[in-house]
Amino acid sequence: MKRETDPAGTEELTKVRFSNLDRVMYPAAGITKKEVISYYIRIAPRMLPFLFGRPITMHRFPDGIGGEGFYEKDAPKGTPDFVAIFLHHSVTADRDVRFVLCNNLDTLIWLANLASLEIHATLSRAASYESPDLLLFDIDPEPPLGFDAVIDVAKVVREHLQADGLSPYVKTSGKKGLHIVVPLVPGYRFADVRSYAHAKGTAIARDIPYVVAEFPQSRDKGTIFIDYLQNAGGKTMAAPYSLRATPEATVSTPLAWSDLTRGVRAEDFTMKTVLGTHEEPWKGILDDRQKI
Amino acid sequence: MSGTEGPARSREKGRSRAAHPAAQEPVPGNTGVPAGKPAAGMITVPHPGGHAETGTAGRAFWSGAITIGLVNVPVQLHTMVRDRSFTFRLLHKEDGQPLRYDRVCTRDDKVVPWSETVRGYEVRKGEFLVFSPEELRAVAPESDRKIRLTKFVHYLSLDPMFFGTSYLLVPDRSEDAYSLFLSAIRKSGKAGVGTITMRTKEHPVVVHAYGGGLVATTLHYPDEVTQPAAYPQLRELKAPKDAELALAQRIVDELSGDFAIGEFHDRYREAILSLIEKKLAGEKLVYAEPHPEEAKELMEALKETISTLQKK
Repeated sequence: MKRETDPAGTEELTKVRFSNLDRVMYPAAGITKKEVISYYIRIAPRMLPFLFGRPITMHRFPDGIGGEGFYEKDAPKGTPDFVAIFLHHSVTADRDVRFVLCNNLDTLIWLANLASLEIHATLSRAASYESPDLLLFDIDPEPPLGFDAVIDVAKVVREHLQADGLSPYVKTSGKKGLHIVVPLVPGYRFADVRSYAHAKGTAIARDIPYVVAEFPQSRDKGTIFIDYLQNAGGKTMAAPYSLRATPEATVSTPLAWSDLTRGVRAEDFTMKTVLGTHEEPWKGILDDRQKI
Repeated sequence: MSGTEGPARSREKGRSRAAHPAAQEPVPGNTGVPAGKPAAGMITVPHPGGHAETGTAGRAFWSGAITIGLVNVPVQLHTMVRDRSFTFRLLHKEDGQPLRYDRVCTRDDKVVPWSETVRGYEVRKGEFLVFSPEELRAVAPESDRKIRLTKFVHYLSLDPMFFGTSYLLVPDRSEDAYSLFLSAIRKSGKAGVGTITMRTKEHPVVVHAYGGGLVATTLHYPDEVTQPAAYPQLRELKAPKDAELALAQRIVDELSGDFAIGEFHDRYREAILSLIEKKLAGEKLVYAEPHPEEAKELMEALKETISTLQKK
């Protein structure tokens, strides 16, 4: 490696070496990798606190969303030193997985430079991998039902949780649905959290005819599925502020409950709109841990 | 023949020797080929030449034989003189990137690969005689790897004006013959005069004794050396007055002494080296692959984010 003195006296801002900055990632929206990296740099102050210590899964699109995407759990070859690694023995795969922990700005920029448009995070942290610190309801519509119906159901879920004394957080999934998340005090097992979420879904499905609580019906036309199955070891959700591989470059956007009024559309929350606001509805979420 | 297909001139001036096919074998006088071990503390500047810079003695770049009539003394040629002038890489001021020289066609400004080049001799401005490699090879002197000595002269009778580059001759499994030849010319104070062919040029050469070895020094052809009489200012010099001459001679006498090359130092080189040491010790280093121009706005975003994160 050649070294030179820094003639302009500019600081070394990142250890990441950018590549293919002009490659188009979102053809319809005309967004290049440079803009993707710029997005993740700008969103980092809001995103990093959530990601810290949490194993992630990359969803990479080297040729943009027009090309093939692939999921990657393992740190790829050539992963630089500044990236923290969590070594976990996967029983199902019977091998060690080298998870990436996005613990610093450089790692986030590196992920963006790898064209990992989507960043998915586990519901537990590496330090207590078998114990979830987040409860997740993943609410998705089947056409002809749309986002309005999702909002209606999400509010019902919220009421049920509030009745238990909980204050849940909400974000768009970045696709068609909403994620409702409750930060948890330490010590839960995934099985506990899963059956809690399942029970809530079942209760709501009894009240609202188009809500389904079981996976086999989740693809039925005109239903809303309250997915509790994501509450399991190794499962991930799109991280808050992760881009999604959609034509509009939507973002899994944390929202205030008051933002959710009928008429709002899931695809309204994009890279551009998110950067246009400084709202942080999920600020302090990890200091607001609750008991179920 | 004029350049009917447009000028095939390339910007030869700034060409990189490294990529030149003719530079695949080492070029005599190439500054990047030191023969001896580098002095302690010397910073060696790697040269992108075809000849790897090993910095060790013992790598010959030419081997052949001194021939005097029917007598052969096999020898290897080692570079003796190395130019230790300081070289800097030229960088782009804005991003610190090293610059590269390209052969660019003067008609369309496109880079021309070596395979598409020919040699041209400029007869008049913009008009070239084109030579094919075959034509040039046909007239090139054959390098038969011989230093042919035809005459011995007193070494001190040689005019140093004509001295070119010196090479150390090292015996090539010919120690006895070498020693005999060395002793003979040292004793007589004479030097052998002849020719040597290196690459495509035949040079006059003189082989003489120096510091316990034989040294071959190429000589310039007479027409390569300017004669002072070519200058009218020098032809018309007036003789000084006697008194002035006496004064000048006294100054010369007072400053007379023995010649000692060790009195001289390359002070510029020393200053640069000490500057380099200071910079290495004290100044911030960055990788020589800084962010290209296109990443500038990312740098702006980074500055903002880093300052936000620091406040948190």
